[in-house]
Amino acid sequence: MENLNEVLQLFLSIDNFIAIALGVVIGVTVGSIPGLTATMAVALALPFTFSMQPVAAILLLVGIYKGGMYGGSITAILIRTPGSPASACTLLDGYPMAQQGHAKKALKTALFSSVIADFISNIALIFFAAYLAKIALNFGAPEFFWLICFSLTIIISLASGSMVKGLLAALMGILLSLVGLDSVFGSQRLTFGNYNLMDSISFIPLLIGLFAIPEIIEFYRKKVVPHIKAKASGAGMTLAELKRCMKSIVRGSLIGVIIGAIPGTGATAAAFISYSDARRRSPNRDNFGKGEVEGVAAAEAGNNGVAGATLIPLLSLGIPGDVITAIILGAFMVHGLTPGPIMFQENLSLIYALFLGIMLSSLILLVVGNAAIKYFSLIADIPKSILFPIVLMFCIYGAYAVNNATFDIWLMLAFGVVGYLFNRTGIPAAPFLIGFILGPMFEDNLRRSLLIGNGDLSIFVRGPITWFFIAITFGSIAFALYRFFQARKQASNARQLNNG
Amino acid sequence: MSSSDYRAVNRIKDILDFTTGIILLVVSLVLALYLVPNHIGEPPIMQNPMMSPRWLPNIVSWLMLAFSVLLILQGLLVADKNESDERKFIKGSLRRFVIMVIAFLVYVLFFETLGAILTGILATVLLFLAHPVRTWWVYGFAVAFPVGVTLLFVNVMNVPLPLMPY
Repeated sequence: MENLNEVLQLFLSIDNFIAIALGVVIGVTVGSIPGLTATMAVALALPFTFSMQPVAAILLLVGIYKGGMYGGSITAILIRTPGSPASACTLLDGYPMAQQGHAKKALKTALFSSVIADFISNIALIFFAAYLAKIALNFGAPEFFWLICFSLTIIISLASGSMVKGLLAALMGILLSLVGLDSVFGSQRLTFGNYNLMDSISFIPLLIGLFAIPEIIEFYRKKVVPHIKAKASGAGMTLAELKRCMKSIVRGSLIGVIIGAIPGTGATAAAFISYSDARRRSPNRDNFGKGEVEGVAAAEAGNNGVAGATLIPLLSLGIPGDVITAIILGAFMVHGLTPGPIMFQENLSLIYALFLGIMLSSLILLVVGNAAIKYFSLIADIPKSILFPIVLMFCIYGAYAVNNATFDIWLMLAFGVVGYLFNRTGIPAAPFLIGFILGPMFEDNLRRSLLIGNGDLSIFVRGPITWFFIAITFGSIAFALYRFFQARKQASNARQLNNG
Repeated sequence: MSSSDYRAVNRIKDILDFTTGIILLVVSLVLALYLVPNHIGEPPIMQNPMMSPRWLPNIVSWLMLAFSVLLILQGLLVADKNESDERKFIKGSLRRFVIMVIAFLVYVLFFETLGAILTGILATVLLFLAHPVRTWWVYGFAVAFPVGVTLLFVNVMNVPLPLMPY
């Protein structure tokens, strides 16, 4: 009862409600503008949260995340430009529906399935995060060491495109995370005597640089393309259609929850798996890809089912499930909180206040999403030539605000160039960021294990939990290799067919 | 370029992967052979070499070297058409790009001396001119946004920014 009072005290603050609503509005707005991503918005909003209470700060970022997931589908449906990679699946049926004059129906379907999936995902988060955290309380340094190894392998193995490039990106991220003073001996590591680097590389300039600046550089480097205008016209979704799609939405949400709970898998995979599952089971399977409302529902349910579930490993184990949760992890750290099993013991009220806020965000998404459909053309018609100079200003102010140092602006621009080069060479930025976050945790748990075991390496295989993590780590590597060779085989078969 | 040179270039299936691999190979060699041994301090006595501040950077550098070699081999042997399509784009005018670089420099060089508002206005106007934005009233945003956002940071969010020229 005492806890309940504390939870309500933490949650029932006007700041929290404003933060959630503002977050969802920003998320939907940014997500619905082609070229701007939810990741960029979360990264840019992070400096604004410095002076906020922790609950309001995290809820603002979670709101942006959830709004962005839905917002991405608006452009996918209307102008065949997915606002996020996860929305790529939505355009398969959403765009043909828009072409047939049913844009509003497609948008409403996307909204309702997003909200339902989000709600299911939140329920899963509330039930599983606490349970997982309870198990994780038995973890020591060696168990966490293997858990981080597992997270690294799965994130890298599922990096889009080339596995080699994903691994290289993660290694670069780990290496940069080690810059600064060594936590055990206090010796300098690759600081070159620069005092700005002694406290390691600042997370926020790196983040903004990596995810916002490359878009700006690319815009000014590329040939100007004409601005496309879009309109949401036609009738909305009927109750009968919603009922017909319900099974696909629930199945898609559960697929999203399972995939989201595994670090590194991501919403794109969930959307496509949910879509293909719905297509396989639907009596209207022949209409999929031609403007089927169930296709839009399944894709959106899969992609939004991930949102709450990615917070499960973050809150219970302290491991980010994707790039956005990695940024949210940064926000926790900025506010002096470390997600993981200990937080469930020491800050339980805060966690439950967050859960309440996350549940509320689903409801707000419904309201804001509806408004976004109505007023979308106003949002999407802002030309990038006006938008990007303002985005750059936010980037600069945000980077400077971290330490009040121009050095961080330099750092951010340098990472912007790195991010741009990554884009141009096909090196994925996500494994780089995850490597940057997990690198110090990896080293810290390795050293703590060695200290606990007095240098004896058998501590790394000390019990069933470590064996379990070793098995899934090697299983993940084997699976990644299998996928790699399968993809190669398929590509070579396709080439032979084309040549023959 | 002689015909043998052309043949050598043609043997490379993905020139961008090959070049990236070469650059990363050089970077990892510099890291492993020079930066890690010379720019990471190590205590004189240590019970376990795995506790050394150099241990993980060393492992990472050598792994980077190994994967750079793999990337070079990938560039030599594998042509990934889908990926290369994504990486290619039509370049715009050099003028826009140069003005963008100048706007970046305005921010880093004058942010503390001129203050957030003036540098914000200057850089935003430059970027509007780079495109160029031809609607005159849009330039009002170049003044309104830096003023509004700076005041939002400083007065509402309590995040200090340099306001005025020093």
